[in-house]
Amino acid sequence: MSFFPAAQGTGRRAGPLPIGRPVPLRDADLTRRDRLARWGLLLAAAIPTAMLLLIAALMVAQSVPAFRYAGWGFFTGRVFSFGNLYVTKLQVQNGVPAPHGATYGAFTFIFGTLVSSVIALLVALPLAVGAVLALTERVPTRLQSTVSIFFELLAGIPSVVYGFWGILVLGPLLAAHLYPVLGRLGALVPFFRGSVGYGEGLLTASLILTLMIVPIIATTTRELVRGVPILAKEGALALGMTRYETARVVTLPYVRRGIWAAALLGWARALGETMAVLLVSGNLLNGLPANIFSPFSTMAATIVAMLDSALTDATGMAVHALAALGVVLLVITVATNLLGRLIIRRVAGGAVLPVGRGI
Amino acid sequence: MSLTGTPRPAADAAVAVAVSGLSVRIASREILRGISAGFARGRVTAVIGPTGCGKTTLLRSLNRLNDQRPGMRVEGEILLEGQSVYGRGRDVRDLRRRIGMLFQRPNPFPQSIRENVALGARVHGLWRREEVDRRVEELLRRVGLWDAVHDRLGSSPFALSGGQQQLLCMARALAVDPQVLLLDEPTSALDPHSTARIEELIGSLRERITVVFVTHNLQQAARCADEVLFLLAGEVVEQAPVGDFFQRPADLRSRAYIEGKPV
Ligand SMILES: Nc1ncnc2c1ncn2[C@@H]1O[C@H](COP(=O)(O)OP(=O)(O)OP(=O)(O)O)[C@@H](O)[C@H]1O
Ligand SMILES: [Mg+2]
Repeated sequence: MSFFPAAQGTGRRAGPLPIGRPVPLRDADLTRRDRLARWGLLLAAAIPTAMLLLIAALMVAQSVPAFRYAGWGFFTGRVFSFGNLYVTKLQVQNGVPAPHGATYGAFTFIFGTLVSSVIALLVALPLAVGAVLALTERVPTRLQSTVSIFFELLAGIPSVVYGFWGILVLGPLLAAHLYPVLGRLGALVPFFRGSVGYGEGLLTASLILTLMIVPIIATTTRELVRGVPILAKEGALALGMTRYETARVVTLPYVRRGIWAAALLGWARALGETMAVLLVSGNLLNGLPANIFSPFSTMAATIVAMLDSALTDATGMAVHALAALGVVLLVITVATNLLGRLIIRRVAGGAVLPVGRGI
Repeated sequence: MSLTGTPRPAADAAVAVAVSGLSVRIASREILRGISAGFARGRVTAVIGPTGCGKTTLLRSLNRLNDQRPGMRVEGEILLEGQSVYGRGRDVRDLRRRIGMLFQRPNPFPQSIRENVALGARVHGLWRREEVDRRVEELLRRVGLWDAVHDRLGSSPFALSGGQQQLLCMARALAVDPQVLLLDEPTSALDPHSTARIEELIGSLRERITVVFVTHNLQQAARCADEVLFLLAGEVVEQAPVGDFFQRPADLRSRAYIEGKPV
């Protein structure tokens, strides 16, 4: 259920039009120019759609042999190996030949991609929203735009720089100071048990991802928070509420749906992030990380890390296997996107509210 | 926000809120220029005057909502029950709980209808669920909204009509049991029925709450108010009992305003 008032319409046409849906155009209403513009726009809309379909189709075509070779084992197997690329001996499985010893089990990478991005999102979301509220409620208006420029700069730093910094500075720092403390949680949570490592691994990668997506979520959230009607906030202040209470009672409910969308943007970024993760992941190929501190790998990082050797596979199967990873990543990204939209729609509760009331 | 120069207003036993020498400036513009006025305890005072004369600014100075506006400077003295509103160490939250406010347009919280009122009740220190529920019902009945909303207390207030939303805001403001109620053109966006309802409520609050009430509607002022405060360009022209003001205005400008002539 949502108490979010509907967006203000333009109100150009009177009468009870369905809110949020475009005014239906009848052909007879259109001039020749309108019709021309309509075709032009249709074309402009069709190009990206066609590109997406083309990319997806090519990826799928490339991946089919690998999926056929590995079967369901592609999703459940924990060993990902191109086999012996120097021996010409082939191994045929499900009618598909591949180098001897080739095993394409991607579970480890699927796990790594999902877990690292979810950890990043869970840390980044409260951090970003908290930072925005602190910024808009605590920092003087004059300084706000200066501070938010830094957010935008942060969002623009190339990911390889994040990764490099993570491996040189942040990882060792965390491993020396933060992880030993977190490691004590091992008494309660098995996933925190064991060696805390040297700063290359799942948690470091997740925290680097956090740094990368906080600006994305924060920038969107800030715009949303600035759009909250001042009258509503003053109503809370006039009732003797603190700024914190005002944020909880008025601001956050107003922007909740938008924050879901911002979180999705951030999540999508974390799912696909490649370079930074590759650098700090420790790049564990076969097997799941022993605990939250240990090396792991993601689908995106693996594609980059292994493409070079894959190209030396004369059967072409190694490239097919990486393409299959790409397809899974594509599907997961699109699926989370759709799921997110569904959640947003669900949160909206289908309650179409009258335009312009009480705002 | 700063405060200088504090001429002491005369302590009048019947006055709940005393304003003296109140000036409000933003940048170099003086919005209010040395206003002095008293709002009698348990009485309804209508604040009238042409648009832009500073009525809203005066109201917002009383509960220090102007503190929110960067660059706004308030000078002079306001006493609530003898205690300085802008005094050093004054607890602003406590002040705002004593002074309720209804805005020009309804501004319900994006929470359920029930929660809109319950939040006020909780601010006032009610926590047990049955107590809060009872208080919510009592307040909604008092503003005449109970019959319309009792079966959808959990749903969004934005689906209510504008008038119903304003009544809900009224219930919310009353939930903290304020000593003073500030109403800024509370009926300017409402239909005659809701307007009558609000006016009735104002009448029922008389004796219990000090009401300061901005309106552009002179008939409404005449109907509801005990006293009238007439502002012009940031200055007080006249403050008088409602009968005197409308029948024997002391100032020529008041007369002109009442007769709808340019002032
Ligand atoms: N934040 C602000 N910045 C600059 N000028 C302001 C600000 N707030 C109010 N003013 C000015 O102060 C004057 C008084 O405003 P105020 O809102 O108090 O008028 P009002 O009497 O309530 O008018 P109305 O009847 O139209 O509501 C206006 O001229 C307005 O332009
Ligand atoms: Mg006003």
